[in-house]
Amino acid sequence: MTEVSVASGPAGGGHRSTQRSRREARAAYLFLAPWFVGLLVITIGPIFASLYLSFTDYSLLEEAKWVGLDNYTKMFTEDPRFLNSLQVTTIYVIVSVPLQLAFALALALVLDRGLRGLPIYRSIFYLPSLLGGSVAIAILWRKVFGADGLVNAVLSVFGIQGTGWVGHPDYALGTLILLHVWTFGAPMIIFLAGLRQIPSSYYEAAAVDGAGALRQFRSITLPLLTPIIFFNLVLELIKSFQSFTQAFIVSGGRGGPADSTLFYTLYLYLQGFKNYDMGYAAAMAWVLLLIIAGLTGVNFLASKYWVFYGDTK
Amino acid sequence: MSSGKKMWSAALLATAVLAVTAACGSGGDGGGETADGKIKLRFSYWGSDARQKMTEEAIKKFEAKNPTIDVEGEFSDWASYYETLSTKVAGSDAPDVMSLEIRGLREYAERGTLADLASKVNTADVDAKVLTTGAIDGKQFAIPTGVNAFSLLVNKSLVEQAKAELPDDKQWTWDDYIALSNKVTSGSGGKITGTQLSWNPAYLQIYATQKGEQFYAGNKLGLTPETIKEWWSIMQNLIKGKGAPDAAKSSEIGATSIDQSLLGTNTGAMGMWWSNQLGAAAKASGSELDLLRMPKIKGATSGGMFLQPAMFYSASSKSEHAAEAAKFIDYMINDPEAGAIILSDRGLPASSKVLAAVKDKLPDADKKTLAFLDEAKGELTDPPAAPPKGASAMEDILTRYSEEVMFGRMTPDDAAQKFITEANASIAG
Repeated sequence: MTEVSVASGPAGGGHRSTQRSRREARAAYLFLAPWFVGLLVITIGPIFASLYLSFTDYSLLEEAKWVGLDNYTKMFTEDPRFLNSLQVTTIYVIVSVPLQLAFALALALVLDRGLRGLPIYRSIFYLPSLLGGSVAIAILWRKVFGADGLVNAVLSVFGIQGTGWVGHPDYALGTLILLHVWTFGAPMIIFLAGLRQIPSSYYEAAAVDGAGALRQFRSITLPLLTPIIFFNLVLELIKSFQSFTQAFIVSGGRGGPADSTLFYTLYLYLQGFKNYDMGYAAAMAWVLLLIIAGLTGVNFLASKYWVFYGDTK
Repeated sequence: MSSGKKMWSAALLATAVLAVTAACGSGGDGGGETADGKIKLRFSYWGSDARQKMTEEAIKKFEAKNPTIDVEGEFSDWASYYETLSTKVAGSDAPDVMSLEIRGLREYAERGTLADLASKVNTADVDAKVLTTGAIDGKQFAIPTGVNAFSLLVNKSLVEQAKAELPDDKQWTWDDYIALSNKVTSGSGGKITGTQLSWNPAYLQIYATQKGEQFYAGNKLGLTPETIKEWWSIMQNLIKGKGAPDAAKSSEIGATSIDQSLLGTNTGAMGMWWSNQLGAAAKASGSELDLLRMPKIKGATSGGMFLQPAMFYSASSKSEHAAEAAKFIDYMINDPEAGAIILSDRGLPASSKVLAAVKDKLPDADKKTLAFLDEAKGELTDPPAAPPKGASAMEDILTRYSEEVMFGRMTPDDAAQKFITEANASIAG
């Protein structure tokens, strides 16, 4: 189909229309020019500048000095906080993303039953996704999980005396994971759309063959939904590796208590703006890019073995 | 066809619109002179809305006296102040006059960002010892705006309610402080907590001075592991005796502002802060608060308390209007009219003349601070020099290791060693 339209373009007319299409192309480029300039100056330029800075000692206040690979080697050999931040972030991603997706899928399945007032439920469940990354919710989270917060008030009704959850190094990361899981709305909407795509005739046929609800879910819903699961997984992995606001606000900008919520991006920010080590921060940003790119690559490779595209065969 | 022409003109229009918006963004930055030939002076500072109003008012008075200068205040909140400032400096767009605090001073001064203000600003009325905190290698890079002392804030009525008694703060020891805190908690049936913990390096500095040690000895820590461990044991004893909240709650409230503190919410009787916070704490709690001397180690010859500039004014070394920048700083420091507007907002005025002129107009909390500092004057140690580069991170480092100890995740021995190593690495560069 695509071949046909490409071929008919230039071949269809004579000299006049070639001129015209050239003129149109020029106009198009002119229209695009402002955005190309923006892309170059605001995005691509700084990306390469940051690559250069990652090989320098740069305090922001002085000229950058070339130090070769020093920043990169320091990260992995001399900086336990870097490794800690990597560990904290990895735990956060590994625990919160699957939990969030499982939750989103479960609710999507419930909502797919065709409840009355579905649009209302959908909006309500989607709301946290819009708010989850905001400063206000992070502050609310502090209050809810604080020593005198709502959670402990509820626990005390049952005679349990809770600790200050956000202030305790064993639990603080857990509250952030909960916050992430709570923003299940966005993947839920996508799952819901995916579920609608599955033809109901499959289920009818399965029911005739005597398959129960669980069997239907395992043999029809799950396989046909794998492309959607894959899409959500890739998206959420990338997003959660870059989480910043929640940890910044909940820990008072320090990643505390005792570095238990020191997210990668938070540590990057502290190095750049608090320790005046922008070269190191730039190097960290590039390592993060490599980590995310690597993980996404692995994800795509692995997808061959578990993602089922109904239309390919 | 005319549609081609239309497209062309639309594209041109779009480009033109973009060009105009871009021009608006950078408008008015042309070389430091405004359209009417006035010299434009940029002045950056941080703080509250109240401070912004005061500062704008002082700027207006300055402009009335100096009609050829147009001062433009660049204001931001504290949390993002250094981010914005360092970015401006990096972009060769440093404000002519910058506010700095003592931890950031060497970061800027030792990187050639600041101009020497010696003999350009009149400092005859500023206490010589306080003034030297703004001097580095004999160059006066910064002029102190006013002074502060790190001290103990107390809500006396809460102490009385708990049927505890305030000891004489000229004599009292750390054991007295722990005993009092524990007594307040038990005496109030747990409703009021004795004290809030503090991980401010100034607190450790005071304790170290009492032991005859320096916090910073040049570009190294002067603290011994023993001192740090003893200092931690004060806080461990407070938690054990319930005179302070447990480690989890302590770290939770430690990350909030003074309005959310135990004192500010009337749920605790004591806490340690810089003296200029007295007003804010009193306002948040709605009750009367007082300042106390810090407790002492038994037999210590020095109480270790000290004055520290609340803030500095400094000028950019790259400023095209160095003379005007100095003039503006001179006005902000020495002019009683400016002093009458700013009052104690930037610490109790460093200039003794300004202080004498505005003394009676100060808010009650600051009158109290002034009386307290006057009384304790003879006991104060010399204001310490600006800490080395990298000291901005000291409070975070100290807090982190203190939390490790309070939660029992590290032994005090281990944590003290690691703290010293990391702190030294941070300030060596």
